[in-house]
Amino acid sequence: MTTLIVIDQPPYGSWTGREAMDMLFSLAAFDQPAALLFIGAGVNWLRRSQNASGIGQKTVEKNLSAAPLFGVDRIYAEQAACDRFLPDAGQRVNGVELAPSVKQLLDQHDHVFFAG
Amino acid sequence: MPTLLSYTLVITGAPWSSQAPQTALTFARALIDAGHRLDRLFLYGEGVHLASALSAPPSDEPHWPQEWSAFLTEHRIAGVACIASALRRGLVDEREQARYELSAHNLRAPFQIAGLGEWVDGTLTSDRVMYFHGSA
Repeated sequence: MTTLIVIDQPPYGSWTGREAMDMLFSLAAFDQPAALLFIGAGVNWLRRSQNASGIGQKTVEKNLSAAPLFGVDRIYAEQAACDRFLPDAGQRVNGVELAPSVKQLLDQHDHVFFAG
Repeated sequence: MPTLLSYTLVITGAPWSSQAPQTALTFARALIDAGHRLDRLFLYGEGVHLASALSAPPSDEPHWPQEWSAFLTEHRIAGVACIASALRRGLVDEREQARYELSAHNLRAPFQIAGLGEWVDGTLTSDRVMYFHGSA
């Protein structure tokens, strides 16, 4: 069974994305295949060189960088959302696969969780 | 004859600030009435507020924590609040009260506090996992 965790909210405005990441890491800790998909404004998670110290938070880049350590090696981003928010590939962190079709990705996974 | 399924329900929306607990309870009652099985209710994120013993809405309003507790007890269904979500939001049982040296505990019976492994188990063993979110 494969699980896709979908994050559609930008970082820092709420805790839902971070808690979705906790779910992702829990699946990985139990050796369950899982992947991550950012859509809409959620692709701002992938912005390179974030600095959240001004709002007293830890940057979400650290959360993301832990994914490979947990064995999560598939991080997807909606192509259209990247075209809007991060059009230059240099703006994005490394290791992200662009997804032209979100529907196709959803269909490829048995279980889909949208960050609440 | 319809296929009977087992379910895990996940609530991430808080009572009164979202309709998630109410919608989930309606769904849970319907699935039990139809002969399906509810394996577990898992509360995550803001949803853990549903397990608070300290909610005290006006008497002419629905009391969602009380209604869910009665439903879980009646049907002997496990209700689990994620420990990380719960601790962030001030929901603790006696064990966590002692561990963090807090002044009180406020977990409503029959809810329990446990880790995300309970949710992972639900994804592996239930036929369906349904999510009830608050507004984005």
